[in-house]
Amino acid sequence: MEHDVALTVKGLKTYFYNNNRCNRAIDGVSFEIRQGKTLCIVGESGCGKSVTAASIMQLLPTLSRIEEGEITYHGPDGPVRIDALDRGGAQMRSIRGKEIAMIFQDPMTALNPVYSIGFQIKEMLMYHTGLGRRARHDKAIDLLASMGIPLPERRVNDYPHLYSGGMRQRAMIAIAMSCNPRILIADEPTTALDVTIQAQIFELMETLKRDNGTAIMLITHDMGVVAELADDVAVMYMGNIVEAGPVGTVMRNPVHPYTRALLDSIPVLGRGKDQEIKAIPGQTPDPYDRPKGCQFADRCMHRIDKCDEMPPETQVSDDHRVMCWRYQEFASNGR
Amino acid sequence: MLTYIAHRLLTLIPMVIVISFLIYLGLELTPGDAVSHMIPPDAYGSMDPDRLQELRESLGLGQPFFVRYWIWISGVVQGDFGYSLAGGVPIADIFLDRLPATLELSFAALLISTILGSILGTISALTRGSATDQGLTVVGMLGVSIPEFFFGLVAILVFAINLDWLPVGGRTLPGYDSFWDRLPNLVMPALVLSIMMTAGVMRYARSSMLDALSRDFIRTARSKGMPEWRVNILHGFRVALTPVIVLIGFRLPVLIGGSVIIEQVFQWPGIGKEFVSAVRSQDYPLVMMVALFSVLAVLIASLIVDLLTAIIDPRVRLGE
Amino acid sequence: MVDAPITRPRTRRDGQFDRLRDRETSMQGKAKRGGRFLGKFLSNRLALVGFVIFAIICLMSLFAPLLAQHDPMSPNLRAIAQPPSVEHWFGTDKTGRDIFARVLYGGRVSILVGLGSALLSALIGVIIGVYSGYVGGWLDWIAMRVSEIFMSFPQIILVLLLVAILGQSLLNLIVIFTLTGWGGIYRMARARMLSIREEEYVQALRSFGLGPARIAYKHMLPNALGPIMVNITLSTAAFILQEAGLSFLGLGVPLSIPTWGNILNAAQDLRVLEQNWWIWLPVGATISLFVLSVNFIGDGLRDATDPSQQG
Repeated sequence: MEHDVALTVKGLKTYFYNNNRCNRAIDGVSFEIRQGKTLCIVGESGCGKSVTAASIMQLLPTLSRIEEGEITYHGPDGPVRIDALDRGGAQMRSIRGKEIAMIFQDPMTALNPVYSIGFQIKEMLMYHTGLGRRARHDKAIDLLASMGIPLPERRVNDYPHLYSGGMRQRAMIAIAMSCNPRILIADEPTTALDVTIQAQIFELMETLKRDNGTAIMLITHDMGVVAELADDVAVMYMGNIVEAGPVGTVMRNPVHPYTRALLDSIPVLGRGKDQEIKAIPGQTPDPYDRPKGCQFADRCMHRIDKCDEMPPETQVSDDHRVMCWRYQEFASNGR
Repeated sequence: MLTYIAHRLLTLIPMVIVISFLIYLGLELTPGDAVSHMIPPDAYGSMDPDRLQELRESLGLGQPFFVRYWIWISGVVQGDFGYSLAGGVPIADIFLDRLPATLELSFAALLISTILGSILGTISALTRGSATDQGLTVVGMLGVSIPEFFFGLVAILVFAINLDWLPVGGRTLPGYDSFWDRLPNLVMPALVLSIMMTAGVMRYARSSMLDALSRDFIRTARSKGMPEWRVNILHGFRVALTPVIVLIGFRLPVLIGGSVIIEQVFQWPGIGKEFVSAVRSQDYPLVMMVALFSVLAVLIASLIVDLLTAIIDPRVRLGE
Repeated sequence: MVDAPITRPRTRRDGQFDRLRDRETSMQGKAKRGGRFLGKFLSNRLALVGFVIFAIICLMSLFAPLLAQHDPMSPNLRAIAQPPSVEHWFGTDKTGRDIFARVLYGGRVSILVGLGSALLSALIGVIIGVYSGYVGGWLDWIAMRVSEIFMSFPQIILVLLLVAILGQSLLNLIVIFTLTGWGGIYRMARARMLSIREEEYVQALRSFGLGPARIAYKHMLPNALGPIMVNITLSTAAFILQEAGLSFLGLGVPLSIPTWGNILNAAQDLRVLEQNWWIWLPVGATISLFVLSVNFIGDGLRDATDPSQQG
């Protein structure tokens, strides 16, 4: 079975210019999102996951810009270079929301408190569909119903503060899915929610992916989520994708020391109380005072002199790539 | 919603009682016979002492303090505000005569400062960091720093005396009393009175708008692919509005206070001007009554602000 | 289609970004610089300018006897309403008094009234607010109700009411300002204390067995000082404006004492306003400049003490 590619990112660099400094938030990132598949981007906070998402949506803050690289959306009307579009222009806006939709980390703050949930769904429909007033209302109710919200006819007129956290995130997903986007970007959608709610939200996303063929880019810091949901995974560290590949390959045969450290730092059910959980030593470097070469070098147990040079992206196998000088040694001895 | 209004009204009542009580205490303690401000001064002067004593009895002045207070407050509620010492006019008549002028001036200034302040503050926030923003910030700073009456003096000198565009002061000319006839007289006092409040509203609207624009739901709104004006106005400004309205309610006393001085500068025949001359001539009954009604005005204004916030903010409206 | 070289149109910001990026590249690996201060430079510069103006006006008023060659009170019938000259820098008023001297000496009284009332009301407000905010109880209830009563009056009406009752004098004015001004700072101090009270270090201090007064004034108060300082500067500005307004009405400091407001009082006369600009313009400008400088200081303090207001 062949999968269409929905979005390609090539050599993307996004820099921030706050406080009269330049922060290389993303420094050369490449990946693709496949139709009907889930790509997980995993990494610690501050590694550039959310900036990647914001770059794709062209929702970057004012004091930042895409320096170089390509973001290509493979839409129904042929490919579109997103990075070349004007941030607030009509073309970008017609993609944003309709073709690529996004849900955010904290459903408590991501919804406007002074408008009803229904209004916030209908707003999206108003801009991207030709539906009339009545039809928009019915569609909003349908969407809420399909997100598993009870009594949608009544709840559609409720304000966000009357919704629980999990329900708000469902409503958020309803907004995002209202125009059947080809790509759904989910930026840590469950971090702010209870664990039981988490599972429900993920299940909902899985269903949407299966039923609508939506491509999902899921941003998370949780390796457990990756193992469960991802088809592909990309591990980010300080603005680089240090390792990427199909989830099975990367989880079974991680070759970057950072990926290995991440996997070692999560407890595994069934290994008992005495299992060794290794924390990663040190801290992420100051983004304004980065190491010259490999960004992970200072915290890496396997550091060699050569690590002062930035390692290139190297293919381990056809679909598995890594940025590390010594990956071959780790690849051979496995896990 | 109705219970909310009822609840707010109930919390106001003890406040009004305490303040009216203090005002009455002030009336009793200030110099002058209590009878003197309850009957016209002319009648008071020509009355023989026995008759006066009788009157004291009948007015309940021999009674304990609380009974006297009760008699006084019942009178006030029924519209009997007592008599001004100067000229012996019933205070209620003075109010009826002067209140329209003060209300006209205050509403005009309130309208100007609310609209102008919110618009300028929003522009300032949307162009944050630009020359426009910095210029508006400095102008706003000047607005809250220069005394209002000084503005008024300069305005009179420039627009009334040198350019002769607008009248120096006053409210009406004899024979011309429609609103449009008065308008030229209203322009300068209203603008000058609104300056300080406009600057305050602008500074506050700017920070409130910046705060709203930094919220997550703005990013959500952008992610829907809506045009920027809709994001800014419908999502940003709408949310920034609540605190701005609250601020305007809080600042209303400042506006009332400002009108006291501005009415003096422009010879505007309102309550404020009357109040100043009452303070000058130590006309205590009038001073106390104006103070009592200014408190009522402030309390009612705060009630209206609460209701307005309840209307525009669903979290308050639906009772959280 | 993809291969065609598409570039986003460059904006005004791009050039600025390029420079920043190049500088960053050239200093990579070198020691960090305090670039953060650059961003706050503008607001700090205003506060600095404000402080300099504030200091100059205060010092000039303080050393008025050395700077002014004329007595501010003694009339000179041979020099009535003269325009500015070498002899009289700001001219003379309708009784021939030197306006420059009057502005300097007037500054002493006006600043004393403004700063003195602000400090006194802060003192009262903070003492009550800190204690009642931390301890609560009946004292808190009473103080809260009393401040509510004071604050439901428009301030100038209450001030004028008290002037009518107490009479006009310099001391009375300071007392009246303090009476009407303590409520705001009391409420602010109380609110700060209520939020600080929940912090863990306070719980810890309580578990050490420290007395409430010691915890409140010694350990919690310093953490509330920032907003208190801001409040003091802002109420100084407000009191100076109020004194000027009251004196302009002739109801503030008795007219025999020169204050900024009393000097301006002369401008109520339309002829003075039209013909003798030097009588009212310099002093009006001085008040405005002084209040502006105090407001700049207040804003600077706010930015410096409140991290959430940055930018």
